[in-house]
Amino acid sequence: MQTPRRLTRRSGAHAVLAICALVACASGTGAAVAEDASSWREIETKYVFGFTTGSGIGLEGEKEVTVDSVGRFGKRDGHYAATETKYEFEFTPSQFIQIEFGALGSSHNIDAMTDLAARNQLAFAGGFAEFRYLAVERTSNNPLSVTLAVEPTVRLIDETSGSHVNNYEFETTVNADLELLKNRLYAGLNLLYEPEVTRVVAGTQREATIGGSAALAVRLAPNLLVGAEIWYLRHYDSPTLSDYTGDAVMAGPTLYVKFTSKMFMTAAWNAQLLGHEVGNLSSLNLSEFQRHRARLKFAYEF
Amino acid sequence: MSVATMTMRPLILAAVGAAALLQPVKADPAAEVRVTYSNGQFEPGEVNVPVDKPVIIRVKNMDAKALEFESTSLRVEKVVAAKSEAVVNVRALKPGRYEFYDDFNAKAHGALVVQ
Repeated sequence: MQTPRRLTRRSGAHAVLAICALVACASGTGAAVAEDASSWREIETKYVFGFTTGSGIGLEGEKEVTVDSVGRFGKRDGHYAATETKYEFEFTPSQFIQIEFGALGSSHNIDAMTDLAARNQLAFAGGFAEFRYLAVERTSNNPLSVTLAVEPTVRLIDETSGSHVNNYEFETTVNADLELLKNRLYAGLNLLYEPEVTRVVAGTQREATIGGSAALAVRLAPNLLVGAEIWYLRHYDSPTLSDYTGDAVMAGPTLYVKFTSKMFMTAAWNAQLLGHEVGNLSSLNLSEFQRHRARLKFAYEF
Repeated sequence: MSVATMTMRPLILAAVGAAALLQPVKADPAAEVRVTYSNGQFEPGEVNVPVDKPVIIRVKNMDAKALEFESTSLRVEKVVAAKSEAVVNVRALKPGRYEFYDDFNAKAHGALVVQ
C-alpha cells in the first residue's frame, strides 16, 4: 500500500505532467523552444507574472473582456475556500492610459473554523475600476517600463468571511518590469499600498496592506511563458500603517499561454512560506492571509 | 463706470481667458511616413523618423485582403481594409527601434527606426 507521502508525490508528478501536456498542446510549442527569440514578436507584459502585474497597458483603441478569478484556500483550522472573480472590461483610450472596470462575484465555502461562521454561498460582491498610467516606457534602448495604477473597489461581501459589509478599498500600485533578454526573459516588480474601510453593524474598521513582489518570467516559446514570483505583504489595522498586525511571504509558479493573437490565459499559484501574526506564536499568518492562493484568468481582445 | 459694466468685467475677462485656453495649442508638426503593404510584406521594411516628434504613418494596403497594422512598442493597432489606406497616429518617440507587424500574417513585419 502506498504511503500518503508517496501518493502525494505521485499525484504532484501527475499534475506537473498534465500541466506540461496541456501547455504543449495549447501553445503548439513542440520544437519552438530552440527558436531564435529575436524573430519573435514583442509581448505585452501585463499578465505574464502571475499575481505580479506587469507594466503593459495594451494598444491604443484595443478592448478586452476578461474573467479573472482569485481563490484563497486554507486557514488555521477547519475548511476554508473563497474565490473572488472579476468580470472585467478594459480599454486603452490613449498610448499612455488604460481604464478597466467591472463587477465582482464571490464564493465562500467555510466550515468548522474557530473564528469564521460556516457558510456556503455564491454572491454578487461589488464593483471596481482601475486607472493605469504608463510613466516610463520601454524602448529598444531602455529595458525598464513603469506603470502607476489605482483601483478603487466597493465590496458588499467581505473577502475573508463572506458576510455582508460595505467595504471601500483603494489599491495603489507601481507595476514595473524589465526586459532582461530581448523577447526571452522578463523581471517584474510591484509595490502595493491598499488602504480600506469596512462598515459593519458593530462599527467601522480601517486597515491597510502594503507589500511588494518580484517575479521572473521566461518565454519558452512565442506563446508560452513560465516563471515564479515572491510576495512580501504586511497588514495594519490602520491606513496610516501605525498598527501592525502581521506579515507573510508567499511564493509560487506562474504560467502565461497565448492561444491566439487575441486570446490568452494566465495562471498562478502562491503558497505562504513564512508568516507572523502579532500575539500569536504559531507559524504562518493565517489571520490576514491564507495558506494558498491561486489565480486563473482568461482574456479576449478585440 | 456703471455698476453693470463693473459686474460684467470679470465675466468678460473669464470668457476671454476661457476662449484663449480653448485655442488649439500649436503642436510640434508631425513627421509623416508612408508604408505600403503588398504581397503580404511591408515596404519599406524599415522607416526612419525623427526623435521627439509625433508620427503619422499612412498605411496603404495594396492586397486583396485586410491587414491589421499592430505594434506592442508603438502601442497601436489598426485594421486596414483590402485595397485601402489608413492613418495611424503615434506619439513623439524616444530614440530606438519600434517593430510593427500585420497581426493577420505572421510573416509580415517592419520597424520604425527613431534617430
